[in-house]
Amino acid sequence: MANETTFDTREEVDFAIIGSGSAGGILAKELATAGFSVVVLEQGPYRKASDFTHDELSVVFRSELHGGGNDVHGQTFRHYENETALQPTDQAPVRYARGVGGSSVHFTANFWRLRPVDFKERSLLGPISGTNFADWPISYEELEPYYTKVDWEIGVSGAPGPFDAPRSKPFPMPPMPIKSSGVLLEKGAAALGLHAQAEPHAILSQPHNGRAGCVSCGYCMWYGCEAGAKSSTLAAMIPLAEASGNCEIRPDSTVIRIDTNNKGKADQVVYLDINGVEQAQKVKAVVLSANGAETARLLLMSASTQHPDGLANSSGFVGRNLMYNAHALSIGVYEHPLNDYKGVQVSRIVHDFYETDEKRGFYGGGGIDARPLFSATPIIHALLGRDPDTPHWGKGFKDTMAHDFTRTLSFVASTTSLALDSNNITLDPESKDAWGRPAIRATYMDHADDLATAGFLEDRMAELHEAAGAEKSWRFGIHPTTGGEHLLGTCRMGDDPATSVVDSKHRSHDVPNLFICDGSSMVTSGRGQPTMTIMALAFRAADHIRAAATAGEI
Amino acid sequence: MNIPESLSRRSFLQATSTLTGAAYLRMLAPGLAAITQTACSARDEGMAFAILGADEARDFAAIAARIIPTTDTPGASEAGVIHFIDKAFAAEMSGQLNFARAGLAEFNDALRGEHASAVHLGDLSEDEQDAFLQTRESSGLFNLMWAMTIFGFFAMEKYGGNKDQVGWELIGFEGGHGPWQYPFGYYDAEVHGKADNGE
Repeated sequence: MANETTFDTREEVDFAIIGSGSAGGILAKELATAGFSVVVLEQGPYRKASDFTHDELSVVFRSELHGGGNDVHGQTFRHYENETALQPTDQAPVRYARGVGGSSVHFTANFWRLRPVDFKERSLLGPISGTNFADWPISYEELEPYYTKVDWEIGVSGAPGPFDAPRSKPFPMPPMPIKSSGVLLEKGAAALGLHAQAEPHAILSQPHNGRAGCVSCGYCMWYGCEAGAKSSTLAAMIPLAEASGNCEIRPDSTVIRIDTNNKGKADQVVYLDINGVEQAQKVKAVVLSANGAETARLLLMSASTQHPDGLANSSGFVGRNLMYNAHALSIGVYEHPLNDYKGVQVSRIVHDFYETDEKRGFYGGGGIDARPLFSATPIIHALLGRDPDTPHWGKGFKDTMAHDFTRTLSFVASTTSLALDSNNITLDPESKDAWGRPAIRATYMDHADDLATAGFLEDRMAELHEAAGAEKSWRFGIHPTTGGEHLLGTCRMGDDPATSVVDSKHRSHDVPNLFICDGSSMVTSGRGQPTMTIMALAFRAADHIRAAATAGEI
Repeated sequence: MNIPESLSRRSFLQATSTLTGAAYLRMLAPGLAAITQTACSARDEGMAFAILGADEARDFAAIAARIIPTTDTPGASEAGVIHFIDKAFAAEMSGQLNFARAGLAEFNDALRGEHASAVHLGDLSEDEQDAFLQTRESSGLFNLMWAMTIFGFFAMEKYGGNKDQVGWELIGFEGGHGPWQYPFGYYDAEVHGKADNGE
């Protein structure tokens, strides 16, 4: 359906939504179908399903869906605040897709709910010195109806697992079928007394809501889905938003500032259009859903006389508490071909180590999954996925790849990250991006407990390979995180304006008509698959924003 | 994206750090994808190289042919990796061409110093070539050629190499031919044989 709806920038729209990804796409659909006028400002292009390719070189090595490599974005990274951040020349330290649908377009679509414990761990476990470990201002029970809404409206495949949080409604469709990697994880888990369960996916295992089911092409992780079976907001929400007749998706629009008036309210969003020309969209209210890095950057860039430390930042918490989730990886080679590059990445997971166990001596938990990872495509396999103890060129190199590529699987652990003042997003004082904006500077050093958790799970994964009968396996070792896709915690929600940026309904404490909802809202990191929660928060935020707008309370 | 790219990046650097290869891979990345379908027709029709001279093309091809040698299966030569390399140097990697040429001059000086009878790598026996290349493993040229050979062998055919998808065929990757029906492999075959829908 062609989108005919457009708004003049001088026309005051009900909402400008900054970002069209996991949260912004949902908020656009919810608010536009409720009758509000909505302009979505998306910095990337408007790609359609037919624009997505299987081109490993372009997608992975040219960062096609990121809008280019870090030479474009100029991001910098350092571990500690007393260091000068350096600009990596290969991968950017914070990574996300630029384009309509945001990173919901190119994510792997592993889709875990949080559990009740995630929302109240601080109360259950007590404080952790030197951290901003805190309870959420909402409970799992408050969010559950919205998780269910995501299941049915976005489209989630799955089956209940033994440790899952309670759900009010079953999954709308069965899980994706098991793959060989899943069979081997089941085998290893059974031998160790663990419990493998089906992986939930934001991928349709069968047709749903007028969309086609997965065709098992194998290009989920890092790629866009040309079948529309991946439940991105591009596939599931944006068409509904546009069909309402109340929503304009405005791609290639790079926001540089949110302006406030003398009453302290946001009144326009300033952006560069596709030609680099500055425009200003008049607004009644702003919804900021640009992701945990971009949201913080924009608020800091919107500093003014009224808001000298950045917009909505009287607490100083904008950009703080960045949580990437820590990871561990163990690769194994098995006797027979798995051909695990076919189909979705993950079909089975182990959640036995989800909760903190104080007997381990440190905070944290995580999940383990089985997937092809670096052996889903050939170039990455040759560079990263192959056995490091084999020759890297010559006949031995060739023979090893020829034998191992189809026989390789990875166990991947995703874990908690603790919130710290010293892990944050700030504006780099020197570096600029290609639009002239101060570049994103990430400062990040995992808490010792995060690395300990990753190390604990790495040991378990080595045991799983052995129990599953791997011919050989190797570890990647536990290293401090130097970048990531999970951009969490940087505008956390909370009841106390001194220690949070938004309230429990995503309204900023400082600016009454500015709402912030994306990964930045999260108070704790979960166990590593945050998108389901970001989407549930967006549906819930939309309910509250709609109610407030209807009541004239914005 | 939930793949631990933080970890993959580190691994990527670790995998190449002993080779000082990371820098070359970085240089490589921006240059590779501008190469278009014309690379295929050039290769298929035996057209002249776009940028490389005959001698340097022969030397680069000889190095690539030892990185992924021809055995009972096709190697870098059959995949046309040199055409990938040529197109890359002619286009977005043109900035690396002088570096590669200087590296090749040094490479050939060393070769001729070691083997009085040899002018080019290809003048040596395969065993002699491998022995000489082992002495060059830490050189910038070798690492650039290593990365470009992998890309040329495995990237989509439209970039000039991977002719007839011989790279993919070697490792059993049929990625260009999906979608797929279950079962995919040995271990899930039994499960799917017993169930109607795989679950």
